Amino acid sequence: MKLKSASKLPALLTVVEAQPLTDLAEVELSGCYISDLLSDVLANAQPGVLWVTIHTHRNVVSVASMKDITAVLFTCGRKPEPAIIAEAAEKGIMLLSTLLTTYETAGKLWKAGLR
Amino acid sequence: MIQGVPAERKRAAAKVAQNANGHRRYKGLHARLTGVVHKPAIVAESALKTGMAGKPVTPAPAVENTSNAAEKRQVSFVQMLVFELRVRDAMTSPPITATTTDSLRSIQHLMKAHRISGVPILANDVLVGLVSIEDIINALDEGHINDAVEPWMSRKIVTLRDHFSLVRAVAEFDRHGYGRFPVLDGNNRLVGVITRGDITICLMHQLERRAEEAVAKEAALVATRAADAKAHRVVINTDVKSCDFESAGKLSQRIREVLRARGVAPEILRRAAIIAYEAETNIIIHSLGGRITTAIDAIKVRIRAVDRGPGIENVDLAMQEGWSTAGPLARELGFGAGMGLPNMKRCADEFTIQSELGGGTRLQAAVFLQKAETRL
Repeated sequence: MKLKSASKLPALLTVVEAQPLTDLAEVELSGCYISDLLSDVLANAQPGVLWVTIHTHRNVVSVASMKDITAVLFTCGRKPEPAIIAEAAEKGIMLLSTLLTTYETAGKLWKAGLR
Repeated sequence: MIQGVPAERKRAAAKVAQNANGHRRYKGLHARLTGVVHKPAIVAESALKTGMAGKPVTPAPAVENTSNAAEKRQVSFVQMLVFELRVRDAMTSPPITATTTDSLRSIQHLMKAHRISGVPILANDVLVGLVSIEDIINALDEGHINDAVEPWMSRKIVTLRDHFSLVRAVAEFDRHGYGRFPVLDGNNRLVGVITRGDITICLMHQLERRAEEAVAKEAALVATRAADAKAHRVVINTDVKSCDFESAGKLSQRIREVLRARGVAPEILRRAAIIAYEAETNIIIHSLGGRITTAIDAIKVRIRAVDRGPGIENVDLAMQEGWSTAGPLARELGFGAGMGLPNMKRCADEFTIQSELGGGTRLQAAVFLQKAETRL
């Protein structure tokens, strides 16, 4: 299945069967970055991407904010504490969670056209 | 005050009628102005100098009590103006005058040419009378338009001094109902003529001028503040505790706020924030605690991180990507990638690190704010 608006966040919800943790805006994503190492994200992620990670710690929000990352997708059903979700919302970072593994998530996003 | 000449009576009657409007118009301002500041002095002086037993004016109610703060400021500003400005600031000077031997016809032409309704009459440079447009009409009516002015002019004239305040002038207009006053200086020389219109125009010009001054002042202040903010050096001291993962990112957040307020480019801002973040997390993960001093000025951001040990055994090794001594807790949280120091070096325009085992680590990085080169 190839989506027309594959890079639009709400459309991706169905692709990876994700649940929104914050309000989702109709924002165009510039791409995707997958890493569980914060320094790696700081060094290599581009602004405006969807970041896929298993980490749910507050530092994820700090790093995402620092790199102007648009949204963070937590895999394996992980969800951050409510306080961290609130902090992300305050900083304008959208959060989502999926039961899929990181590998499955990556495959589906790629197939849907988020490149 | 009014002499037994028919023309003058008519003139006075006309003036009183005119005053009905004028008085209403000025009464509010007058009451507010005289009711608040200096009023007793002005009334006394006015009655004395004009030789009139003016009936005492009861003090106007204090309007200020019921007005809100903004109105109060506004009123006091107009008050200030009207008390500050003098008759000489508003009067028409030099005045258009005629002499006692001039014909009424020539004075009529004078009025037409200068669009005025009253002409002071001089004899040997001394004010001796005043001719109004009503006097001219009366003379014309009775066929005396070509006569000399002397018998037709009003002789008993109320004058103002050039140093009187405008609020005093307004009070005199209200009291006498005349359309104009000749203005004398300290030597009893005629120096001008003042009308209510002159006062209005003068006030409007003053308000306009002060408004322009205020706008210019405000603009200059804003410009100075912006320049100050840019040149102003901000120093942020942050104490960082060992294993305090919760606090990581607070300093870099603060640095981003300061730089964003100064209009620093996002790419440069991001590099400074990443250095600060890596410096923070390094102290949290690896050290016994330390302090980061961030200095921001117009040229650069300088981040100096000093910790209390235990120090890095091999700095060259630590600078290699992927090499990390981070413990299991840090790794569980996504730290310990072995990329912190290389990341900082890559983001910095200047970077130095000194460390010895058993001592502490001192690290200094600088990011120049003007450079537009993209590093990340």
